[in-house]
Amino acid sequence: MAEPAIQVTDLVKVYREKSSHPVRALDGLTLTVREGEIFGLLGRNGAGKTTLLRILTTLIEPTSGRVTILHRDAVKNPLEVRKNICVVLQENAVELYLSVRDNFFTFARFHSIPAGEVRSRTNRVIEQFGLGDYADQKVIDLSSGLKRRVQVAKVFMVDKPIIFLDEATTGMDPVNKRATIDAIREQARRGRTIFLTTHILQEAEELCDTIAIIDHGKRLACGSLQQIKSLARHALDITLTFDTLTDATLSELRALPSTKFEHTDNTVDMCVAGGEVAVLELVARLARQQRVLHVEMSSATLEDAFFELLRKSAHRPPGTTEDGGLSP
Amino acid sequence: MSMIIAVMYREYRIRTTSMTWIFYDMFMPITYLLLFGIGLDKAFHGGIVTHGVAISYNAFFLSGVLSMACFGIAINTTYGFFVDRDNGIFYEFLTYPMTRGEFLIGKIMFNCLLSLVQSLLTIGLGSLLLGISLHWENIVFVLAGVILGTAGWFFFLTPFALRIRRNDMFNTFLNVVYFVLMFASSMFYPVEVLPGWLKGLSYANPLTWHTDTLRFATIGVGTFEVVAVEALAFALLLLISFWFAVRTLRHAILK
Repeated sequence: MAEPAIQVTDLVKVYREKSSHPVRALDGLTLTVREGEIFGLLGRNGAGKTTLLRILTTLIEPTSGRVTILHRDAVKNPLEVRKNICVVLQENAVELYLSVRDNFFTFARFHSIPAGEVRSRTNRVIEQFGLGDYADQKVIDLSSGLKRRVQVAKVFMVDKPIIFLDEATTGMDPVNKRATIDAIREQARRGRTIFLTTHILQEAEELCDTIAIIDHGKRLACGSLQQIKSLARHALDITLTFDTLTDATLSELRALPSTKFEHTDNTVDMCVAGGEVAVLELVARLARQQRVLHVEMSSATLEDAFFELLRKSAHRPPGTTEDGGLSP
Repeated sequence: MSMIIAVMYREYRIRTTSMTWIFYDMFMPITYLLLFGIGLDKAFHGGIVTHGVAISYNAFFLSGVLSMACFGIAINTTYGFFVDRDNGIFYEFLTYPMTRGEFLIGKIMFNCLLSLVQSLLTIGLGSLLLGISLHWENIVFVLAGVILGTAGWFFFLTPFALRIRRNDMFNTFLNVVYFVLMFASSMFYPVEVLPGWLKGLSYANPLTWHTDTLRFATIGVGTFEVVAVEALAFALLLLISFWFAVRTLRHAILK
Protein backbone atom coordinates (compact mmCIF):
# COMPACT_ATOMS: atom_id res chain seq x y z
CA MET A 1 0.00 0.00 0.00
CA ALA A 2 1.25 3.50 -0.85
CA GLU A 3 2.68 5.71 1.90
CA PRO A 4 0.48 8.45 3.34
CA ALA A 5 1.09 11.75 1.58
CA ILE A 6 -1.25 13.71 3.84
CA GLN A 7 -2.18 12.70 7.36
CA VAL A 8 -4.82 14.65 9.27
CA THR A 9 -5.37 13.61 12.89
CA ASP A 10 -8.08 14.88 15.25
CA LEU A 11 -8.03 18.28 13.60
CA VAL A 12 -9.97 21.06 15.28
CA LYS A 13 -10.27 24.65 14.09
CA VAL A 14 -12.27 27.14 16.07
CA TYR A 15 -12.67 30.65 14.70
CA ARG A 16 -13.28 33.57 17.06
CA GLU A 17 -12.27 31.28 19.91
CA LYS A 18 -12.38 33.97 22.57
CA SER A 19 -15.64 35.53 21.45
CA SER A 20 -19.07 34.69 22.83
CA HIS A 21 -19.93 32.98 19.52
CA PRO A 22 -16.99 30.77 18.54
CA VAL A 23 -17.30 28.92 15.23
CA ARG A 24 -16.11 25.30 15.22
CA ALA A 25 -15.20 24.87 11.54
CA LEU A 26 -13.39 21.53 12.01
CA ASP A 27 -14.34 19.16 14.77
CA GLY A 28 -11.93 16.28 15.30
CA LEU A 29 -11.36 15.46 11.64
CA THR A 30 -9.12 12.53 10.75
CA LEU A 31 -8.13 11.65 7.17
CA THR A 32 -5.35 9.93 5.27
CA VAL A 33 -4.44 10.66 1.66
CA ARG A 34 -2.09 8.16 0.07
CA GLU A 35 0.71 9.03 -2.33
CA GLY A 36 -0.31 9.12 -5.98
CA GLU A 37 -4.05 9.10 -5.42
CA ILE A 38 -6.70 11.60 -6.42
CA PHE A 39 -8.52 12.46 -3.23
CA GLY A 40 -11.83 14.30 -3.35
CA LEU A 41 -13.18 16.26 -0.40
CA LEU A 42 -16.92 16.84 -0.61
CA GLY A 43 -19.30 18.75 1.58
CA ARG A 44 -21.86 21.48 1.40
CA ASN A 45 -21.03 25.17 1.90
CA GLY A 46 -19.70 25.74 5.40
CA ALA A 47 -18.84 22.07 5.92
CA GLY A 48 -15.20 22.93 6.64
CA LYS A 49 -13.61 22.09 3.26
CA THR A 50 -11.92 25.43 2.72
CA THR A 51 -10.74 25.61 6.34
CA LEU A 52 -9.13 22.19 5.97
CA LEU A 53 -7.50 23.24 2.70
CA ARG A 54 -6.15 26.42 4.30
CA ILE A 55 -4.61 24.42 7.13
CA LEU A 56 -3.12 21.87 4.74
CA THR A 57 -1.62 24.65 2.63
CA THR A 58 -0.19 26.43 5.73
CA LEU A 59 -2.37 29.52 5.34
CA ILE A 60 -3.80 29.12 8.83
CA GLU A 61 -2.97 27.04 11.87
CA PRO A 62 -5.34 24.58 13.54
CA THR A 63 -6.62 25.06 17.07
CA SER A 64 -5.57 21.50 17.89
CA GLY A 65 -4.76 18.24 16.15
CA ARG A 66 -1.98 17.40 13.75
CA VAL A 67 -1.37 17.68 10.02
CA THR A 68 1.58 16.15 8.22
CA ILE A 69 2.39 16.52 4.54
CA LEU A 70 4.91 13.94 3.36
CA HIS A 71 5.74 13.39 7.05
CA ARG A 72 6.41 17.09 7.65
CA ASP A 73 4.37 18.84 10.31
CA ALA A 74 2.39 21.68 8.69
CA VAL A 75 2.49 23.82 11.84
CA LYS A 76 6.10 23.23 12.89
CA ASN A 77 7.63 23.14 9.39
CA PRO A 78 5.35 25.21 7.14
CA LEU A 79 8.17 26.14 4.78
CA GLU A 80 9.10 22.48 4.20
CA VAL A 81 5.44 21.78 3.47
CA ARG A 82 5.20 24.70 1.03
CA LYS A 83 8.23 23.36 -0.84
CA ASN A 84 6.24 20.23 -1.64
CA ILE A 85 2.86 21.64 -2.61
CA CYS A 86 1.20 23.63 -5.32
CA VAL A 87 -2.17 25.25 -4.77
CA VAL A 88 -5.15 26.48 -6.78
CA LEU A 89 -7.31 28.41 -4.36
CA GLN A 90 -11.01 29.03 -4.72
CA GLU A 91 -10.41 32.76 -5.14
CA ASN A 92 -9.18 33.90 -8.54
CA ALA A 93 -5.42 34.36 -8.22
CA VAL A 94 -3.71 35.88 -11.22
CA GLU A 95 -1.48 38.85 -11.92
CA LEU A 96 -4.06 41.02 -13.64
CA TYR A 97 -1.58 43.55 -15.03
CA LEU A 98 0.76 40.99 -16.54
CA SER A 99 0.30 39.08 -19.77
CA VAL A 100 -0.67 35.41 -19.67
CA ARG A 101 2.90 34.44 -20.59
CA ASP A 102 4.38 36.71 -17.90
CA ASN A 103 2.06 35.15 -15.34
CA PHE A 104 3.70 31.81 -16.09
CA PHE A 105 7.23 33.28 -16.10
CA THR A 106 6.65 34.92 -12.71
CA PHE A 107 5.11 31.77 -11.24
CA ALA A 108 8.09 29.73 -12.50
CA ARG A 109 10.50 31.96 -10.56
CA PHE A 110 8.78 31.16 -7.30
CA HIS A 111 8.90 27.45 -7.91
CA SER A 112 12.56 27.29 -8.90
CA ILE A 113 12.00 25.96 -12.40
CA PRO A 114 15.41 25.90 -14.14
CA ALA A 115 15.78 28.98 -16.37
CA GLY A 116 16.33 26.84 -19.46
CA GLU A 117 12.99 25.08 -18.98
CA VAL A 118 10.72 28.02 -18.18
CA ARG A 119 9.93 28.84 -21.80
CA SER A 120 9.29 25.26 -22.89
CA ARG A 121 7.08 24.52 -19.88
CA THR A 122 5.19 27.76 -20.43
CA ASN A 123 4.57 26.87 -24.06
CA ARG A 124 3.43 23.39 -23.05
CA VAL A 125 0.75 24.57 -20.61
CA ILE A 126 -0.31 27.38 -22.94
CA GLU A 127 -0.98 24.74 -25.59
CA GLN A 128 -2.48 22.22 -23.17
CA PHE A 129 -5.00 24.74 -21.85
CA GLY A 130 -5.77 26.39 -25.19
CA LEU A 131 -4.31 29.75 -24.19
CA GLY A 132 -2.26 30.30 -27.36
CA ASP A 133 -4.47 33.08 -28.72
CA TYR A 134 -4.26 35.00 -25.45
CA ALA A 135 -0.62 34.41 -24.49
CA ASP A 136 0.46 38.02 -24.97
CA GLN A 137 -2.71 39.67 -23.70
CA LYS A 138 -2.90 41.18 -20.26
CA VAL A 139 -4.95 38.99 -17.94
CA ILE A 140 -7.10 41.92 -16.86
CA ASP A 141 -8.58 41.94 -20.39
CA LEU A 142 -9.61 38.25 -20.31
CA SER A 143 -12.97 36.74 -19.34
CA SER A 144 -13.32 35.22 -15.87
CA GLY A 145 -13.25 31.70 -17.34
CA LEU A 146 -9.95 32.40 -19.08
CA LYS A 147 -8.50 33.95 -15.93
CA ARG A 148 -9.38 30.78 -14.06
CA ARG A 149 -7.74 28.75 -16.81
CA VAL A 150 -4.50 30.71 -16.41
CA GLN A 151 -4.61 30.17 -12.66
CA VAL A 152 -5.18 26.43 -12.95
CA ALA A 153 -2.66 25.97 -15.77
CA LYS A 154 0.12 27.41 -13.60
CA VAL A 155 0.21 24.43 -11.26
CA PHE A 156 0.77 22.07 -14.16
CA MET A 157 4.07 23.83 -14.93
CA VAL A 158 5.79 22.57 -11.80
CA ASP A 159 6.65 19.15 -10.42
CA LYS A 160 5.58 19.40 -6.80
CA PRO A 161 4.52 16.03 -5.34
CA ILE A 162 1.17 17.33 -4.03
CA ILE A 163 -1.38 19.53 -5.78
CA PHE A 164 -4.32 21.13 -3.97
CA LEU A 165 -7.24 22.17 -6.15
CA ASP A 166 -10.11 24.09 -4.57
CA GLU A 167 -13.08 24.14 -6.95
CA ALA A 168 -10.58 24.22 -9.81
CA THR A 169 -13.00 23.90 -12.71
CA THR A 170 -15.44 26.56 -11.50
CA GLY A 171 -16.29 28.98 -14.27
CA MET A 172 -14.73 26.91 -17.05
CA ASP A 173 -16.51 25.89 -20.21
CA PRO A 174 -16.96 22.12 -20.85
CA VAL A 175 -13.97 21.93 -23.22
CA ASN A 176 -11.57 23.43 -20.70
CA LYS A 177 -13.12 21.52 -17.88
CA ARG A 178 -12.29 18.38 -19.84
CA ALA A 179 -8.71 19.61 -20.47
CA THR A 180 -8.30 20.26 -16.74
CA ILE A 181 -9.65 16.84 -15.79
CA ASP A 182 -7.33 15.20 -18.31
CA ALA A 183 -4.39 17.16 -16.93
CA ILE A 184 -5.26 16.10 -13.38
CA ARG A 185 -5.40 12.45 -14.45
CA GLU A 186 -2.09 12.77 -16.25
CA GLN A 187 -0.45 14.22 -13.12
CA ALA A 188 -1.84 11.39 -10.99
CA ARG A 189 -0.47 8.84 -13.48
CA ARG A 190 2.94 10.44 -12.96
CA GLY A 191 2.67 9.73 -9.26
CA ARG A 192 1.59 13.12 -7.96
CA THR A 193 -0.99 13.27 -5.20
CA ILE A 194 -4.04 15.37 -6.02
CA PHE A 195 -6.26 16.74 -3.27
CA LEU A 196 -9.36 18.39 -4.65
CA THR A 197 -12.53 19.91 -3.34
CA THR A 198 -15.51 20.27 -5.61
CA HIS A 199 -19.22 20.87 -5.59
CA ILE A 200 -19.54 18.99 -8.86
CA LEU A 201 -20.19 15.44 -7.66
CA GLN A 202 -20.06 14.02 -11.17
CA GLU A 203 -16.52 15.35 -11.46
CA ALA A 204 -15.52 13.72 -8.18
CA GLU A 205 -17.16 10.46 -9.29
CA GLU A 206 -15.21 10.54 -12.53
CA LEU A 207 -11.84 11.53 -11.07
CA CYS A 208 -11.32 10.46 -7.50
CA ASP A 209 -9.77 7.28 -6.18
CA THR A 210 -10.84 8.15 -2.65
CA ILE A 211 -13.63 10.42 -1.51
CA ALA A 212 -14.32 11.96 1.87
CA ILE A 213 -17.60 13.61 2.74
CA ILE A 214 -17.58 16.06 5.62
CA ASP A 215 -20.26 18.10 7.32
CA HIS A 216 -20.07 20.53 10.26
CA GLY A 217 -16.33 19.86 10.37
CA LYS A 218 -16.76 16.12 10.93
CA ARG A 219 -16.12 13.23 8.60
CA LEU A 220 -19.31 11.53 7.48
CA ALA A 221 -17.64 8.99 5.22
CA CYS A 222 -14.33 8.24 3.58
CA GLY A 223 -13.43 5.52 1.12
CA SER A 224 -13.38 4.51 -2.52
CA LEU A 225 -16.22 5.54 -4.80
CA GLN A 226 -17.74 2.06 -4.53
CA GLN A 227 -17.45 2.11 -0.76
CA ILE A 228 -19.17 5.48 -0.58
CA LYS A 229 -21.90 4.36 -2.96
CA SER A 230 -22.37 1.21 -0.94
CA LEU A 231 -23.41 3.40 1.97
CA ALA A 232 -26.50 4.13 -0.12
CA ARG A 233 -26.52 0.66 -1.62
CA HIS A 234 -30.29 0.32 -1.45
CA ALA A 235 -30.86 3.51 -3.36
CA LEU A 236 -32.45 3.30 -6.79
CA ASP A 237 -33.22 6.27 -9.00
CA ILE A 238 -36.56 5.59 -10.66
CA THR A 239 -38.46 7.61 -13.24
CA LEU A 240 -41.97 6.41 -14.05
CA THR A 241 -44.23 7.98 -16.69
CA PHE A 242 -47.93 7.02 -16.51
CA ASP A 243 -50.76 7.47 -18.99
CA THR A 244 -52.77 8.81 -16.11
CA LEU A 245 -51.38 9.38 -12.66
CA THR A 246 -54.12 8.76 -10.12
CA ASP A 247 -54.10 9.83 -6.50
CA ALA A 248 -54.21 6.16 -5.49
CA THR A 249 -51.03 5.37 -7.46
CA LEU A 250 -49.37 8.48 -6.11
CA SER A 251 -50.20 7.40 -2.56
CA GLU A 252 -48.84 3.91 -3.20
CA LEU A 253 -45.60 5.36 -4.51
CA ARG A 254 -45.32 7.85 -1.68
CA ALA A 255 -45.61 4.97 0.78
CA LEU A 256 -42.30 3.56 -0.46
CA PRO A 257 -39.18 4.48 1.58
CA SER A 258 -37.92 7.23 -0.73
CA THR A 259 -35.24 9.88 -0.10
CA LYS A 260 -36.46 12.01 -3.00
CA PHE A 261 -39.94 12.25 -4.45
CA GLU A 262 -40.96 14.66 -7.19
CA HIS A 263 -43.80 14.52 -9.67
CA THR A 264 -44.75 16.70 -12.61
CA ASP A 265 -47.81 15.96 -14.74
CA ASN A 266 -47.76 12.19 -15.19
CA THR A 267 -44.11 11.59 -14.36
CA VAL A 268 -42.66 10.64 -10.99
CA ASP A 269 -38.96 10.94 -10.10
CA MET A 270 -37.99 9.15 -6.96
CA CYS A 271 -34.97 7.80 -5.16
CA VAL A 272 -35.84 4.71 -3.16
CA ALA A 273 -33.70 3.62 -0.27
CA GLY A 274 -34.46 -0.01 0.68
CA GLY A 275 -37.23 -2.37 -0.38
CA GLU A 276 -36.19 -2.79 -4.03
CA VAL A 277 -38.31 -5.94 -4.30
CA ALA A 278 -41.43 -4.06 -3.24
CA VAL A 279 -40.62 -1.34 -5.76
CA LEU A 280 -40.13 -3.80 -8.60
CA GLU A 281 -43.33 -5.62 -7.68
CA LEU A 282 -45.25 -2.35 -7.65
CA VAL A 283 -43.83 -1.27 -11.01
CA ALA A 284 -44.61 -4.70 -12.51
CA ARG A 285 -48.18 -4.56 -11.20
CA LEU A 286 -48.71 -1.05 -12.56
CA ALA A 287 -47.25 -2.10 -15.88
CA ARG A 288 -49.64 -5.08 -16.05
CA GLN A 289 -52.47 -2.62 -15.54
CA GLN A 290 -51.10 -0.74 -18.58
CA ARG A 291 -50.69 2.40 -16.57
CA VAL A 292 -46.93 2.81 -17.04
CA LEU A 293 -45.70 4.28 -20.34
CA HIS A 294 -42.02 4.52 -19.49
CA VAL A 295 -39.69 3.17 -16.80
CA GLU A 296 -36.10 4.22 -16.09
CA MET A 297 -34.07 2.77 -13.23
CA SER A 298 -30.48 3.34 -12.25
CA SER A 299 -28.40 2.43 -9.24
CA ALA A 300 -27.19 4.94 -6.69
CA THR A 301 -24.86 7.72 -7.79
CA LEU A 302 -22.38 9.56 -5.66
CA GLU A 303 -24.96 12.31 -5.45
CA ASP A 304 -27.49 9.90 -3.96
CA ALA A 305 -24.97 8.71 -1.40
CA PHE A 306 -23.99 12.30 -0.64
CA PHE A 307 -27.55 13.40 0.08
CA GLU A 308 -28.34 10.28 2.04
CA LEU A 309 -25.27 10.78 4.22
CA LEU A 310 -26.16 14.41 4.86
CA ARG A 311 -29.72 13.42 5.71
CA LYS A 312 -28.55 10.72 8.09
CA SER A 313 -25.99 13.03 9.66
CA ALA A 314 -28.76 15.42 10.62
CA HIS A 315 -30.37 12.62 12.68
CA ARG A 316 -27.24 10.91 14.00
CA PRO A 317 -26.10 11.10 17.62
CA PRO A 318 -23.02 13.31 18.04
CA GLY A 319 -19.62 11.63 17.70
CA THR A 320 -20.60 8.83 15.31
CA THR A 321 -19.69 8.42 11.62
CA GLU A 322 -21.32 6.54 8.79
CA ASP A 323 -18.32 4.76 7.40
CA GLY A 324 -17.32 2.78 10.47
CA GLY A 325 -14.19 0.86 9.57
CA LEU A 326 -13.99 1.47 5.86
CA SER A 327 -12.15 4.77 5.96
CA PRO A 328 -8.35 4.81 6.01
CA MET B 1 17.79 34.48 -1.42
CA SER B 2 16.24 33.12 -4.62
CA MET B 3 12.76 33.72 -3.17
CA ILE B 4 13.57 37.36 -2.33
CA ILE B 5 14.79 37.81 -5.89
CA ALA B 6 11.62 36.14 -7.19
CA VAL B 7 9.44 38.60 -5.25
CA MET B 8 11.61 41.50 -6.47
CA TYR B 9 11.28 40.24 -10.04
CA ARG B 10 7.52 40.10 -9.67
CA GLU B 11 7.40 43.65 -8.26
CA TYR B 12 9.59 44.81 -11.13
CA ARG B 13 7.35 43.18 -13.76
CA ILE B 14 4.25 44.78 -12.32
CA ARG B 15 5.85 48.19 -11.79
CA THR B 16 7.13 48.34 -15.35
CA THR B 17 3.68 47.73 -16.84
CA SER B 18 3.03 51.45 -16.39
CA MET B 19 5.49 54.18 -17.31
CA THR B 20 3.31 56.64 -15.39
CA TRP B 21 4.24 54.92 -12.14
CA ILE B 22 7.91 54.93 -13.02
CA PHE B 23 7.85 58.60 -14.02
CA TYR B 24 5.96 59.54 -10.86
CA ASP B 25 8.31 57.57 -8.62
CA MET B 26 11.43 58.98 -10.23
CA PHE B 27 10.57 62.63 -10.53
CA MET B 28 7.99 63.39 -7.83
CA PRO B 29 10.53 64.34 -5.11
CA ILE B 30 12.62 66.67 -7.27
CA THR B 31 9.44 68.28 -8.64
CA TYR B 32 8.27 68.80 -5.06
CA LEU B 33 11.59 70.36 -4.13
CA LEU B 34 11.56 72.63 -7.16
CA LEU B 35 7.99 73.87 -6.70
CA PHE B 36 7.32 73.84 -2.96
CA GLY B 37 10.96 74.31 -1.88
CA ILE B 38 11.58 77.32 -4.12
CA GLY B 39 8.30 78.89 -2.98
CA LEU B 40 9.20 78.57 0.69
CA ASP B 41 12.79 79.59 0.03
CA LYS B 42 11.47 82.89 -1.32
CA ALA B 43 9.01 83.22 1.56
CA PHE B 44 11.85 82.78 4.07
CA HIS B 45 13.84 85.42 2.17
CA GLY B 46 16.53 82.98 1.18
CA GLY B 47 17.22 81.04 4.33
CA ILE B 48 16.64 79.84 7.87
CA VAL B 49 18.76 79.29 10.95
CA THR B 50 18.94 75.84 12.53
CA HIS B 51 21.44 74.47 15.05
CA GLY B 52 23.07 77.91 14.93
CA VAL B 53 23.78 77.65 11.19
CA ALA B 54 22.19 79.83 8.49
CA ILE B 55 21.29 77.77 5.41
CA SER B 56 19.02 78.13 2.37
CA TYR B 57 15.55 76.69 2.78
CA ASN B 58 16.17 74.46 -0.25
CA ALA B 59 19.18 72.90 1.49
CA PHE B 60 17.14 72.41 4.67
CA PHE B 61 14.14 71.00 2.82
CA LEU B 62 16.14 68.51 0.70
CA SER B 63 16.26 65.90 3.47
CA GLY B 64 12.56 66.52 4.21
CA VAL B 65 11.76 65.70 0.59
CA LEU B 66 13.93 62.57 0.70
CA SER B 67 12.25 61.24 3.85
CA MET B 68 8.84 62.13 2.44
CA ALA B 69 9.70 60.17 -0.74
CA CYS B 70 10.73 57.13 1.33
CA PHE B 71 7.47 57.33 3.23
CA GLY B 72 5.54 57.70 -0.06
CA ILE B 73 7.15 54.62 -1.61
CA ALA B 74 6.45 52.64 1.56
CA ILE B 75 2.79 53.69 1.38
CA ASN B 76 2.55 52.67 -2.29
CA THR B 77 4.08 49.30 -1.48
CA THR B 78 1.62 48.63 1.35
CA TYR B 79 -1.21 49.52 -1.02
CA GLY B 80 0.10 46.60 -3.07
CA PHE B 81 -1.37 44.29 -0.40
CA PHE B 82 -4.83 45.58 -1.24
CA VAL B 83 -4.28 45.15 -4.98
CA ASP B 84 -2.94 41.64 -4.42
CA ARG B 85 -5.86 40.81 -2.17
CA ASP B 86 -8.36 42.12 -4.73
CA ASN B 87 -6.65 39.99 -7.39
CA GLY B 88 -6.78 37.01 -5.05
CA ILE B 89 -3.09 36.36 -5.54
CA PHE B 90 -2.13 37.50 -2.04
CA TYR B 91 -3.25 34.22 -0.48
CA GLU B 92 -1.67 32.17 -3.25
CA PHE B 93 1.66 33.90 -2.54
CA LEU B 94 1.49 32.69 1.02
CA THR B 95 1.45 29.10 -0.21
CA TYR B 96 4.65 29.61 -2.24
CA PRO B 97 7.87 28.05 -0.91
CA MET B 98 9.12 31.09 0.99
CA THR B 99 8.99 32.45 4.51
CA ARG B 100 6.75 35.39 5.41
CA GLY B 101 9.91 37.41 6.06
CA GLU B 102 11.27 36.69 2.56
CA PHE B 103 7.97 37.79 1.09
CA LEU B 104 8.08 41.13 2.92
CA ILE B 105 11.75 41.76 2.26
CA GLY B 106 11.40 40.92 -1.45
CA LYS B 107 8.40 43.19 -1.71
CA ILE B 108 10.25 46.20 -0.31
CA MET B 109 13.69 45.49 -1.82
CA PHE B 110 12.67 46.41 -5.35
CA ASN B 111 11.01 49.53 -4.01
CA CYS B 112 14.17 50.37 -2.07
CA LEU B 113 15.98 50.33 -5.41
CA LEU B 114 13.40 52.79 -6.73
CA SER B 115 13.99 54.94 -3.64
CA LEU B 116 17.72 54.93 -4.30
CA VAL B 117 17.32 56.04 -7.91
CA GLN B 118 14.83 58.78 -7.07
CA SER B 119 17.03 59.99 -4.21
CA LEU B 120 20.09 60.18 -6.43
CA LEU B 121 18.06 62.11 -9.02
CA THR B 122 16.74 64.48 -6.34
CA ILE B 123 20.13 65.06 -4.76
CA GLY B 124 21.88 65.43 -8.13
CA LEU B 125 19.32 67.77 -9.67
CA GLY B 126 18.86 69.66 -6.39
CA SER B 127 22.56 70.32 -6.25
CA LEU B 128 22.73 71.26 -9.93
CA LEU B 129 19.58 73.38 -10.25
CA LEU B 130 19.29 74.88 -6.77
CA GLY B 131 22.96 75.08 -5.89
CA ILE B 132 22.56 73.06 -2.68
CA SER B 133 25.94 72.45 -1.16
CA LEU B 134 26.19 68.76 -0.29
CA HIS B 135 28.55 66.60 1.76
CA TRP B 136 29.22 64.18 -1.10
CA GLU B 137 31.60 62.19 1.09
CA ASN B 138 28.51 61.06 3.05
CA ILE B 139 26.55 59.85 0.02
CA VAL B 140 26.80 56.19 1.13
CA PHE B 141 25.19 57.10 4.46
CA VAL B 142 22.48 59.06 2.67
CA LEU B 143 21.67 56.07 0.48
CA ALA B 144 21.74 53.72 3.46
CA GLY B 145 19.34 56.10 5.22
CA VAL B 146 17.04 56.05 2.20
CA ILE B 147 16.96 52.23 2.17
CA LEU B 148 16.37 51.99 5.91
CA GLY B 149 13.69 54.67 5.76
CA THR B 150 11.76 53.03 2.93
CA ALA B 151 11.97 49.56 4.50
CA GLY B 152 11.27 50.85 8.00
CA TRP B 153 8.09 52.68 7.05
CA PHE B 154 6.93 49.75 4.93
CA PHE B 155 7.34 47.32 7.84
CA PHE B 156 5.71 49.84 10.16
CA LEU B 157 2.64 50.21 7.93
CA THR B 158 2.32 46.52 6.96
CA PRO B 159 0.53 45.29 10.11
CA PHE B 160 -2.02 48.08 9.72
CA ALA B 161 -2.59 47.25 6.04
CA LEU B 162 -3.04 43.57 6.86
CA ARG B 163 -5.34 44.12 9.81
CA ILE B 164 -7.45 46.99 8.49
CA ARG B 165 -8.18 45.08 5.26
CA ARG B 166 -10.54 47.76 3.87
CA ASN B 167 -8.85 49.96 1.30
CA ASP B 168 -10.95 53.04 2.14
CA MET B 169 -10.36 52.66 5.87
CA PHE B 170 -6.64 52.24 5.34
CA ASN B 171 -6.65 55.36 3.18
CA THR B 172 -8.30 57.35 5.99
CA PHE B 173 -5.86 55.90 8.53
CA LEU B 174 -2.91 56.92 6.34
CA ASN B 175 -4.22 60.43 5.84
CA VAL B 176 -4.47 60.92 9.59
CA VAL B 177 -1.09 59.31 10.33
CA TYR B 178 0.69 61.12 7.54
CA PHE B 179 -0.87 64.45 8.49
CA VAL B 180 0.28 64.17 12.11
CA LEU B 181 3.70 62.67 11.38
CA MET B 182 4.52 65.12 8.61
CA PHE B 183 3.65 68.35 10.42
CA ALA B 184 4.88 67.29 13.84
CA SER B 185 8.37 66.65 12.51
CA SER B 186 11.49 68.38 11.28
CA MET B 187 10.47 67.83 7.66
CA PHE B 188 9.33 71.40 6.90
CA TYR B 189 10.80 73.47 9.74
CA PRO B 190 13.42 73.14 12.48
CA VAL B 191 11.99 71.49 15.58
CA GLU B 192 13.75 73.95 17.93
CA VAL B 193 11.49 76.85 16.83
CA LEU B 194 8.29 74.97 17.72
CA PRO B 195 6.30 75.54 20.94
CA GLY B 196 7.05 73.13 23.81
CA TRP B 197 4.18 70.68 23.36
CA LEU B 198 4.77 70.37 19.62
CA LYS B 199 8.51 70.14 20.13
CA GLY B 200 8.06 67.12 22.42
CA LEU B 201 5.78 65.45 19.91
CA SER B 202 8.19 66.16 17.08
CA TYR B 203 11.21 64.77 18.93
CA ALA B 204 9.26 61.57 19.58
CA ASN B 205 8.33 61.26 15.91
CA PRO B 206 10.26 58.64 13.87
CA LEU B 207 9.86 60.86 10.81
CA THR B 208 11.96 63.47 12.63
CA TRP B 209 14.61 60.84 13.44
CA HIS B 210 14.78 59.81 9.81
CA THR B 211 14.76 63.36 8.43
CA ASP B 212 17.43 64.54 10.92
CA THR B 213 19.67 61.62 9.96
CA LEU B 214 19.34 62.39 6.28
CA ARG B 215 19.87 66.11 6.94
CA PHE B 216 23.07 65.44 8.86
CA ALA B 217 24.33 63.16 6.09
CA THR B 218 23.41 65.49 3.21
CA ILE B 219 24.33 68.96 4.49
CA GLY B 220 26.03 68.28 7.84
CA VAL B 221 23.47 70.11 9.99
CA GLY B 222 22.81 68.69 13.46
CA THR B 223 24.74 67.19 16.35
CA PHE B 224 26.43 63.86 15.67
CA GLU B 225 25.54 62.39 19.09
CA VAL B 226 21.84 63.29 18.75
CA VAL B 227 21.63 62.09 15.16
CA ALA B 228 23.35 58.83 16.09
CA VAL B 229 20.73 58.18 18.76
CA GLU B 230 17.94 59.08 16.32
CA ALA B 231 19.39 56.76 13.65
CA LEU B 232 19.67 53.91 16.16
CA ALA B 233 16.13 54.52 17.38
CA PHE B 234 14.87 54.37 13.79
CA ALA B 235 16.83 51.15 13.14
CA LEU B 236 15.28 49.67 16.28
CA LEU B 237 11.83 50.73 15.09
CA LEU B 238 12.56 48.99 11.77
CA LEU B 239 13.51 45.73 13.49
CA ILE B 240 10.50 45.74 15.81
CA SER B 241 8.20 46.64 12.91
CA PHE B 242 9.65 43.82 10.79
CA TRP B 243 9.08 41.31 13.58
CA PHE B 244 5.55 42.56 14.07
CA ALA B 245 4.82 42.58 10.32
CA VAL B 246 5.97 38.96 9.94
CA ARG B 247 3.92 37.95 12.97
CA THR B 248 0.83 39.69 11.60
CA LEU B 249 1.28 38.06 8.22
CA ARG B 250 1.61 34.67 9.89
CA HIS B 251 -1.37 34.94 12.22
CA ALA B 252 -3.84 37.50 11.03
CA ILE B 253 -4.98 36.34 7.63
CA LEU B 254 -8.18 34.71 6.51
CA LYS B 255 -9.70 34.64 10.00
